[in-house]
Amino acid sequence: MSEEAALSTPAAEHAPGHASADGIAARARGLTKAYGSGETTVLALDSVDVDIARGRFTAVMGPSGSGKSTLMHCLAGLDSVSAGQVWLGDTEITGLKERELTRLRRDRIGFMFQSFNLIPTLNAAENITLPMDIAGKKPDEKWLDQVIDTLGLRDRLKHRPSQLSGGQQQRVACARALASRPELIFADEPTGNLDSRAGLEVLGFLREAVDQLGQTVVMVTHDPGAAAHSDLVLFLGDGRIVDEMERPTAEAVLERMKRFDVIRSQFEGQDGQE
Amino acid sequence: MLKATLRSFLAHKGRLLLSALAIVLSVAFVAGSLIFSDTVTRTFDRLFASTSADVTVEPKQDLKSQVPTGAAETLSASLADRVAKVDGVAAAHADVSVENITVVDSRNKNVGPTTGAPTIASDWFLTARSPVKLTSGHAPRSGGEALLDADTADKKHVRIGDTLTVQAEPGSFKVRIVGIATFTTTNPGAALVFLDPVTAATQLLGAPGRATSISVDAAKGVTDPVLKQRVAAVVGTSAYDVKTADEHAKSAAEDLGGFLDVIKYVMLGFAGIAVLVGIFLIVNTFSMLIAQRTRELGLLRALGADRRQVRRSVLTEAVLLGLVGSTLGLAAGIGLAAGLIKLMGVFGMNLKTTEMVVGWGTPVAAYVVGVGVTFVAAYLPARRAATVSPMAALADAEVAGVGRPLKVRAIVGSVIGVLGAAALAGCAASSKTASSASLLGLGVVLTLIATVVAGPLLVRPVIRVLGGAFPALFGSVGRMSQRNALRNPRRTGATAAALMVGLALVGGMSVASASMSKSFDQQIDKTLGADFVIQNNNFVPFSNEVTDKVRGTEGVGLVVRQRFAPVAVTLPDGKRVETTAAGYDDGVDDVAHVTYASGDTANALAAGNLGMDVDFAKDHGVRLGSTIPVEFPAGRKTTMKVGALTDQDQSEGFGMQGGLFFGIATVEKYVPGGQDSALYVDKSSGTSADQLRKNLERTLKPYPQVQARDQADYKKLVHDQIAVLLYLVYALLGLAIIIAVLGVVNTLALSVVERTREIGLLRAIGLARRQLRRMIRLESVVIAVFGAVLGLALGLVWGVCIQQVLELQGMKALAVPWSTIVVVVVGSAVVGIVAALLPALRASRMNVLAAIAHE
Repeated sequence: MSEEAALSTPAAEHAPGHASADGIAARARGLTKAYGSGETTVLALDSVDVDIARGRFTAVMGPSGSGKSTLMHCLAGLDSVSAGQVWLGDTEITGLKERELTRLRRDRIGFMFQSFNLIPTLNAAENITLPMDIAGKKPDEKWLDQVIDTLGLRDRLKHRPSQLSGGQQQRVACARALASRPELIFADEPTGNLDSRAGLEVLGFLREAVDQLGQTVVMVTHDPGAAAHSDLVLFLGDGRIVDEMERPTAEAVLERMKRFDVIRSQFEGQDGQE
Repeated sequence: MLKATLRSFLAHKGRLLLSALAIVLSVAFVAGSLIFSDTVTRTFDRLFASTSADVTVEPKQDLKSQVPTGAAETLSASLADRVAKVDGVAAAHADVSVENITVVDSRNKNVGPTTGAPTIASDWFLTARSPVKLTSGHAPRSGGEALLDADTADKKHVRIGDTLTVQAEPGSFKVRIVGIATFTTTNPGAALVFLDPVTAATQLLGAPGRATSISVDAAKGVTDPVLKQRVAAVVGTSAYDVKTADEHAKSAAEDLGGFLDVIKYVMLGFAGIAVLVGIFLIVNTFSMLIAQRTRELGLLRALGADRRQVRRSVLTEAVLLGLVGSTLGLAAGIGLAAGLIKLMGVFGMNLKTTEMVVGWGTPVAAYVVGVGVTFVAAYLPARRAATVSPMAALADAEVAGVGRPLKVRAIVGSVIGVLGAAALAGCAASSKTASSASLLGLGVVLTLIATVVAGPLLVRPVIRVLGGAFPALFGSVGRMSQRNALRNPRRTGATAAALMVGLALVGGMSVASASMSKSFDQQIDKTLGADFVIQNNNFVPFSNEVTDKVRGTEGVGLVVRQRFAPVAVTLPDGKRVETTAAGYDDGVDDVAHVTYASGDTANALAAGNLGMDVDFAKDHGVRLGSTIPVEFPAGRKTTMKVGALTDQDQSEGFGMQGGLFFGIATVEKYVPGGQDSALYVDKSSGTSADQLRKNLERTLKPYPQVQARDQADYKKLVHDQIAVLLYLVYALLGLAIIIAVLGVVNTLALSVVERTREIGLLRAIGLARRQLRRMIRLESVVIAVFGAVLGLALGLVWGVCIQQVLELQGMKALAVPWSTIVVVVVGSAVVGIVAALLPALRASRMNVLAAIAHE
């Protein structure tokens, strides 16, 4: 495994800055995120190059502290970058103003988080259409119906989050992420707080969103079982993409993850692997 | 445990700051008013103590009227010679000093204070006790020369050589200012004019050989009380008051006290409001702190702290807060007192801030109020904290108390509410002023408590309506803000309660004052028949010269004089009532519409007769034709026959109990030297009202203290007087709002912290900062308007009840100032926006990542 291979498609085919609509949903070049300054600088992301393929289910894995959440936050325009560039489709989002970033998140990105995904004061239907309501846009009713039916939420629409089970809540969050038909859906540990059955259900829906609804999903997880549902797993270690795995299985991912622990224990505090 | 308490106190200092501010405000007003009144009292005690003669002899003041008669009680100056011969008297001087004058300059401008403080003219007799000394010019040596005090000269730009006109009771005379006298003590705000002794007696009192008091100096070794006894033995005490220096100083200070008491009570009113509203703020803050710390408290309990320790920990925190707040409040109070003392300078009262008195009672009161209020307010939350179970440490409770049923509140609230409503209904139905007033008080307190207790229950229905249009107007932002306000009804209710209390008071007072204005208007319409009323702005009597000039004015038809006399009547039921009676000229029927139960004006005004209110007569067993012993000032007595009973809806205010009146000749006879308080003027036939007004204005030009008013002007004067009361209420409202805003800020700030993750989520999925701020603003507005609506509704009910109670006193009309109410509601929305400024800013500045990456 080499660092150059850590791309969902070969980066060399695309010149930076020319990310096109043909198959690349998001892209980062030299993406670096540092916390602190001077002696105490910690590199959360160390010059990461990554392309997220359109219409695929990409999982990002890595031990805690590997920078996987930071990567997602930077790609989604939630966090600023220290260096490098990030594109969403044709739009370079590094350098965008706060207001433009907010609009970008609202209109072009869907989010699912580990917990606290829903606004407790709004019912399921209101939560699902919230990004469009915020934007003052009318939802595409046909699409919305399709999403709601796919996720089996038809008879839960009037329920408040507190009246829903954890799995149902994540399904509502999933529906919200899908509702505006975003270019990219980021899911941050979406199954982290669920029992295995509900977790499987949610993963199944994400899979379905990709396969049947043609969505693009990036999921951050530390669960090899969850990662196994994706098309491609990117492994992060100490702020770099250190490996990737096509058509992963839970066992293979688990094996790969174990190597992090071995390296960790051997070279405490050192970079990377090999 | 104490260490944990201190840590927690310091950790929450931001949140506690707002509560501390409420305590600071209340304590500042308490301390400020105490310091101010102590300072003023001490200053004037010193002033009067230093200016009072060892013994003073004055005409007996047996009846004191609340309405000035314009007469100066005099004694014979020769009395001084008799007193001088008393053993132990070193010297006796006959003083002339009157307040029933007006001094105008050559441009007909009033030289004296227009604030109600007196203009005093006296004979120039410099002693060690004089409050002034001559600082320029020379003493007045003959008629036509006078001194003026430096402060007045300064303020009214009077210089040596200027000519002033003194309008005294016997008549006007001109004086040339030949010198300036400067206060060596505190200037109590009066204007002083000094004349030579002869002029003073003849021009001010109308006869040489008259005086207003005798100042007696004791010979060495004779004490004041001893000398008082000896002097009293010589002059007798039936016609004279003989006072030692201490007694004289005390009574002089008491005369001044009324005005200062007003200031003191106003200040204490502010303190009361601040305390009342502050309590809500403190209760709310502590409740929220405890809700926030439920897990922490649960952990303490799990680790073995017992309930008492938890409760004590919270209360210790409250006491600490109270101590800090009281200390700061005390300091702020000193500042406030200094400000007030400065302010008094505007009214001519030159107090020195360096002589500020902070008595031991002030800090005691400050700490008792500050710590006491905090302790009491924190007690309930502390008890609730003690009931937190150790399990709370483990549970993932979002906010404690949200889900607790409001059933107890519903029951307690409705029981108290029903009692309060019954009391209010009772006060409206009652026909006795005294009992209905106490029912009103009870009803007001009960309904207030009921609304506060049941407030959280009203949150849902009222805010559903108030915020009903939000989703339509503001989309999902509006929907979320409305629901956020509904989220914790207890908290929303308590936050709004602070605003509610203030606005309920304002609502009630504005209905009362609007009704008062309207009632006065109606009464003026109904009773005042004169084309013009000539009166002093402060209702002080004016020189009789004015009456003569008005009578001589072209176009004037009938002139009816009104004078007042303090009287004491002994009624058939054995009661002795001290009140003020009015005297009128015969033409009353032409200038006023008086309705009689029996008798008529002619009978009431006939010599030896009087008229009185029929209800008062009934209460005391008086019948038409009853003869009643009547006492007048200076021991003058007579018996009078009841010639008429009136059936007026007149108010009995202003010390006019019983509505007694008689012919003006009676007043002239028993209160000699009195002045007219009002002239009711009708135009002669063939003169237009406008023409007469012009003529009267020309006539009154040299008399700036009086104005001619037609009915419209007269109504305006009354409205202006009521408005003063209202301004005070608005000032109270302002204070209540400031504290209530602090409460709203407090609540929103906590809500923002609690909803960190929610806000982060909203921001992540694309809610713009602007939208987030709007969401918090709308929530704030809905809470504030909720408080305002509840408060105003309560205030309206109170106002209607106040009117019902005062209807017995003649407040017949009910008026609801809708425009004021609309302004207050709109204002409360503005208050909500202001209160949301900081919390909204804080929320929009919140780091999205920190918010969502919470765990």
